[in-house]
Amino acid sequence: MSVGFIGAGQLAFALARGFTAAGILAAHKITASSPDTDLPTVSGLRKVGVNFTVSNKDTVKSSDVLFLAVKPPIIPFILDEIGPDIEDRHIVVSCAAGVTISSIEKKLSTFCPTPKVIRCMTNTPVIVREGATVYATGTHADVEDGKLLEQLMASVGFCTEVEEDLIDAVTGLSGSGPAYAFTALDALADGGVKMGLPRRLAVRLGAQALLGAAKMLLESEQHPGQLKDNVCSPGGATIHALHFLESGGFRSLLINAVEASCVRTRELQHLADQEKISPAAIKKTLLDKVKLESPSLSVASASKVSLFTSKNPSSKKN
Amino acid sequence: MAGGVARGLLLAGKVPAGNILASAPSDRNLGAFRESGCRTTHCNLEVLQDSTLVFLATKPHVLPGVLQEIRPAVCPHHIIVSLAAGVTLQTLQRLLPAGTKVLRLMPNLPCVVQAGAMVFSRGDGAGEQEASLLKSLLSSCGLCEEVPESYINIHTGLSGSGVAYVYLFAEALAEGAVKMGMPGPLASRIAAQTLLGAAKMMLETGEHPAKLRGDVCTPGGTTIHALHQLEKGALRATVMSAVEAATNRACDMGKD
Repeated sequence: MSVGFIGAGQLAFALARGFTAAGILAAHKITASSPDTDLPTVSGLRKVGVNFTVSNKDTVKSSDVLFLAVKPPIIPFILDEIGPDIEDRHIVVSCAAGVTISSIEKKLSTFCPTPKVIRCMTNTPVIVREGATVYATGTHADVEDGKLLEQLMASVGFCTEVEEDLIDAVTGLSGSGPAYAFTALDALADGGVKMGLPRRLAVRLGAQALLGAAKMLLESEQHPGQLKDNVCSPGGATIHALHFLESGGFRSLLINAVEASCVRTRELQHLADQEKISPAAIKKTLLDKVKLESPSLSVASASKVSLFTSKNPSSKKN
Repeated sequence: MAGGVARGLLLAGKVPAGNILASAPSDRNLGAFRESGCRTTHCNLEVLQDSTLVFLATKPHVLPGVLQEIRPAVCPHHIIVSLAAGVTLQTLQRLLPAGTKVLRLMPNLPCVVQAGAMVFSRGDGAGEQEASLLKSLLSSCGLCEEVPESYINIHTGLSGSGVAYVYLFAEALAEGAVKMGMPGPLASRIAAQTLLGAAKMMLETGEHPAKLRGDVCTPGGTTIHALHQLEKGALRATVMSAVEAATNRACDMGKD
């Protein structure tokens, strides 16, 4: 089985690193492509031993499982570009936040009658094989196709199938989650430094504390509330600290964060569906490069780009 | 408070009414005792002469005077249990004959309906036997546990005053319902039953409240939306601060 990544950014790099480290896939079975060769992740991918190319079409041709690892506004351009090369054997896996299975199927069905589409939401810790991934299978993706993806993603962390309508919530929780954790860790380290610890040690200890706590929770039958209680000796240091956290509305801030990320994801999807994303949202250089590959595309108007219609669906580039 | 304890003992059949003697300077509170069949008097010394187990249920500032008064009548067989807030075992022992079996009890208001939460601690002269006796008698009024004396002020903050926090919460729940269109009295009864039911589940299942809370929260449902509001209001921290404030005040008052 060979795997391809359209896009050679953080996500592609993290997944490629994870898959190879897990030994589930040899590096030479992985291809990644991007028109932008200056990305720092490109050299990273090369170091891993992945085949890098500037041609998305080459990636499609050499892959069975094709990850769309580009930013959401780019997805429609990609689908137009590679659509003609998608065959029945391909499993197209979109990792783009807020991009629905039906929007991808609609685009691809102009080229291929029964495209196999799977939508997944993962997160960056796949790079250290502690990712959190969910996926939902599209109309023409079989159970085996889902299982194949699950096997791949399970090699780099936790992976489970969900109904598509939960994916935005997953984005808010575990998609964005590592960012919340990094923020917390930065602040915890600041606390340590304030109280006299050297920075490096503070960061190391903070990270280990969160890692250990998460591991305890995953391996325990107990409720996190109970695990918290187990740490709080009466009148001790921890309960005093927790009181501060509660006073600051710590819990509600976290609830707010998950909600905000989820809501924003839905908003972006809604905007995309209504074809309201302006080309200013897309880097001009990238747009130009994509346009070079796909002369069939055109920018419909100065202020709005028509994302989900294509002027010349059957044109092929050589 | 004395009335509540007495009523509990009577209802549980632990002590026949005829074996309970209550004294007070005026008749104001004694009527209730007499109605339940207990004997009453205006003479504190008579209580000492007549009883083995003696509850001191006066207001704290009155107690030293009462102790002076009864001291001559206190004998080795007596078990003296003080309910006076803020009066330490040390003070009690100082004002009573050396070696007297003294215990200190902190009940809470719902003792009067036999759903109290009580803690007690032993003085130097009181042993296992006295502790077991007190615990077995008072379990008729609710939960009764022996604790180190240092926990008594915390109990005040948690449960003595805590009853008032619950009333406040119940009132607020009902007001929310009234705002949404329910009549007040009905809302109030339902609020009380909700608190009762939730507490009963905690006590009977022994499960962690966080788990019980999670069990009620269906994904995207009404409860989690409401809980988010509570968290935004930092309810937890506020409640912790309330317990802290009451406990600190109990400590301060005890020093006076």
